[in-house]
Amino acid sequence: MFNKRLLTVFLITAIVFGAFGALALRPAAVVAQDSCPTQKDSYVIGFANLTEDIDFTKLVREGMVSAAEAAGNVELILADNKLDGATALSNTENFITQGVDGIVHFQTDAAFGNVIMARSRAEGIPVIAIDIPMPGATFFGADNYYAGQLAGEALAAWVNENWGGQADAMLVLELPQSGPVPAARMQGMLESYQANVQTPVAEDQIYRLDSKNTQEESFRVVSDTLPAIPEDSKIVAITINDGTALGVIAAAEAAGRAENIIVVGQNADTSGQEEMIKPNSRYLGATAYFPEKYGDKIIPAMIDILECRPVPPSIFVDHIFISKDNVCDFYPDNWPEFCGGAEATPESGG
Amino acid sequence: MNSLKVLRGSNITTLTLFASFAVMCLFFAAQTPFFLTSGNLQTIISTLAVNGIPAIGMTLVLITGGVDISVGSVAALTGVVTSLLWLQYGIPLGISALIGLLSGGLVGFINGSLVTLLKINPLITTLGTFSVVRGLAFVFSEGQTNLLSNEAFQFLGRGQILNIPFSLLCMIALYAVFSLLLYHTAFGRNLYMIGGSAEASRLAGIAVTRHLLVVYTVSGLLAAFSGLISVSQLASSAPRAATGLEFTVITAVVLGGTSMAGGKGTLIGTLVGVIILRTLDNGLVLIQVSSFWQDFARGLVLVLAVGFDQIRARLTGRMKRRAV
Repeated sequence: MFNKRLLTVFLITAIVFGAFGALALRPAAVVAQDSCPTQKDSYVIGFANLTEDIDFTKLVREGMVSAAEAAGNVELILADNKLDGATALSNTENFITQGVDGIVHFQTDAAFGNVIMARSRAEGIPVIAIDIPMPGATFFGADNYYAGQLAGEALAAWVNENWGGQADAMLVLELPQSGPVPAARMQGMLESYQANVQTPVAEDQIYRLDSKNTQEESFRVVSDTLPAIPEDSKIVAITINDGTALGVIAAAEAAGRAENIIVVGQNADTSGQEEMIKPNSRYLGATAYFPEKYGDKIIPAMIDILECRPVPPSIFVDHIFISKDNVCDFYPDNWPEFCGGAEATPESGG
Repeated sequence: MNSLKVLRGSNITTLTLFASFAVMCLFFAAQTPFFLTSGNLQTIISTLAVNGIPAIGMTLVLITGGVDISVGSVAALTGVVTSLLWLQYGIPLGISALIGLLSGGLVGFINGSLVTLLKINPLITTLGTFSVVRGLAFVFSEGQTNLLSNEAFQFLGRGQILNIPFSLLCMIALYAVFSLLLYHTAFGRNLYMIGGSAEASRLAGIAVTRHLLVVYTVSGLLAAFSGLISVSQLASSAPRAATGLEFTVITAVVLGGTSMAGGKGTLIGTLVGVIILRTLDNGLVLIQVSSFWQDFARGLVLVLAVGFDQIRARLTGRMKRRAV
C-alpha cells in the first residue's frame, strides 16, 4: 500500500518535472512559434510586379530579388500583374496554391484590391501593397504629395533665379484616369510651385492636359496647346513622369520655343537623367523614387510582419529631387563622362 | 468601268467629308481665336504624317478586304531597332534607319504570307503579329526609352523646306505615288477586284497571292516609315510608342469612305479622313475639352463612319435590286 502511494507520488513528480524540463529544453524559436504562429526559419514570399514593361517596375523587381537574396532565408516567387486587376487576383490564387507565407502586390486596380485582400485574409497571409493602397495591407510606396512638392519647389527656385520670379503660363501634364495617387503628385507640384514662386501663374493660364502616360500623347497635346500661348511667353511645365517630360520638351523644340520653357517631372529614370544632363537642357530635374531600393525596405518589413514585430501601416520611399547638379551623387555609374567633369549650363540656377 | 463607278460614288463621300470638315473648322474657329492662327495650322500640318502615311497602307489593305492591326507595333519596333543599332552597335544612323524600315517591311511580308499561304483571317493574323511585334520591341529595348539626339535625323520629323514640314512633303509625295498606282495601273484596279471577290479575281487570272503579299508588305513599310518620323519628332524611341495608332488609322481610312468589306475606297478620302481626325484632336485640346470627352468624340466618329458605310452599302444593294 505504502509502496503504491510512493510509486504514485514518484510518477506524478516525474511527470510534472518531466513536463517542465521538456518545456525548458525546447528551442527558443519553437517557443516563439506559439506566440507568433507565422514565424519560421525561412519564408516563401510571392511578389507580383505591376508590369515588366516599364523601366521603373523592372528596377523594383531587380531590387526585390537582390533584397531576398541578401536576407538569406527568403525564397521569392515572381509574377506579373500586367497592369490588370483580374491578373493580380489570379496571381494571388496562384500564390495561395503555392503556399506562400506573405504576398507583396504591386497592382493598379483599386476595385480588385478588396477581393485580393479578402482572399489573403481568409488564408491568413499578410500583404504589402506597393504604391496603390489596398484595405488591410501594409502600404509601401511613394509619398506622392511630398514628391510633388520637391519638384515644385525646385521649379519655383529656378524661375525666381532665372526669370525674375515669373512665368506666364503653366502646362500640367497629368494622368486623370489613374486616380488619386498621380493626382497627389500633380497637386504637390502645382501647389508647391505657386506657393514658392514670386509671382504665381494666373489660374486661366494653367493648362491641364492628359498625357495618357505616353511621350507621343504628351507631344501632341502640348503641340496643340502652344498656339494658344503667346509666342514669347515663359512657360513652366510640371509632368507626371520622365517620358511625359520628354514629350513636352520635344514639342517645344519642334515649335521653336524650347528657350522659353522649363520642365520638371517625376521618377528620374535613365532617360530622364540623360535628358537633364544635356547641355542647355530644358529638363530641370525630377523627383527620384529609387525603385531599385524598394526591396531593401519591403523584404525586411515582410519578415518583421511574419515574425510579429511591429511595422507601421505605411512605409514611405525616401524621395530626393535629382538634377544635373546632384545626379552624380546618386547615379555616377550611369554617366561616367558627365560625372568625370560636369560643366555648368548658361542658366544653371537650379 | 467598275472602278470608275467606285470613284464617282466616292466623290460624293469625299465632298460630304469636305463639307463636314468645313463645318468643324467653323465651329472651332468660333470657339477659340487660336484655331485659325498660322501657328496652329502649322502645328496641324507638321503632325499629319505620323497618321497619314500608315493610312495609305491601311487603305490598300482594306480595299483588298483585309485589315492590318499590327501597324502601331511595327512603328514602335522600327524605332527600337533603329536606336538599338545606332546606339548599341554603332551602325551609322542612316543605315540603322534603313534596317528599321526593312524590319517593318518584313513584318508586313510575314502578315501577307500568313494571310495568303496559310489562309489565316487577316484580323487574327495581324492581331497576332500586333502582340508578337510589340513584345519584340520590349525584348530588344529591355523596356527602356532611348534618346536619339541627331540633328540630321531630326530633320525628317521637324525639318522644313520653304516653311513646309518635310514630313508633310514626304506624305504628299507618297499619296501622289500611290494614287497613280491605285487608279492608273492594272495593279491598282486588281486590288479593287480582289476586295470585291478574291475568288472571282483568282478565276479571272489575277495573281491574288502576289498582290496581297505586296499590299501587306507596303503596309508594313509605311507603318515603319511613320515610326521613323515619330522617333525623329520625339528625339527618342520607346517600345510603348504608337500605342493605338491602328485605331486612329483605321478610323481615318473608314471615315474617308473606304469600306471595311473591301472593294471600295480612295486615297483622297483617306487623306481628308486623316486631316479631319487630326483637326478634331487639335480643336478639342484648344477649347480645353476633357480628355475623356476627346476619347468619346474619336470613338463616336468611328462608329458614325462605319454606320454610314453600312447604310450606304444597304442603300446601294436595294437600288441594284430594284434596277434588276
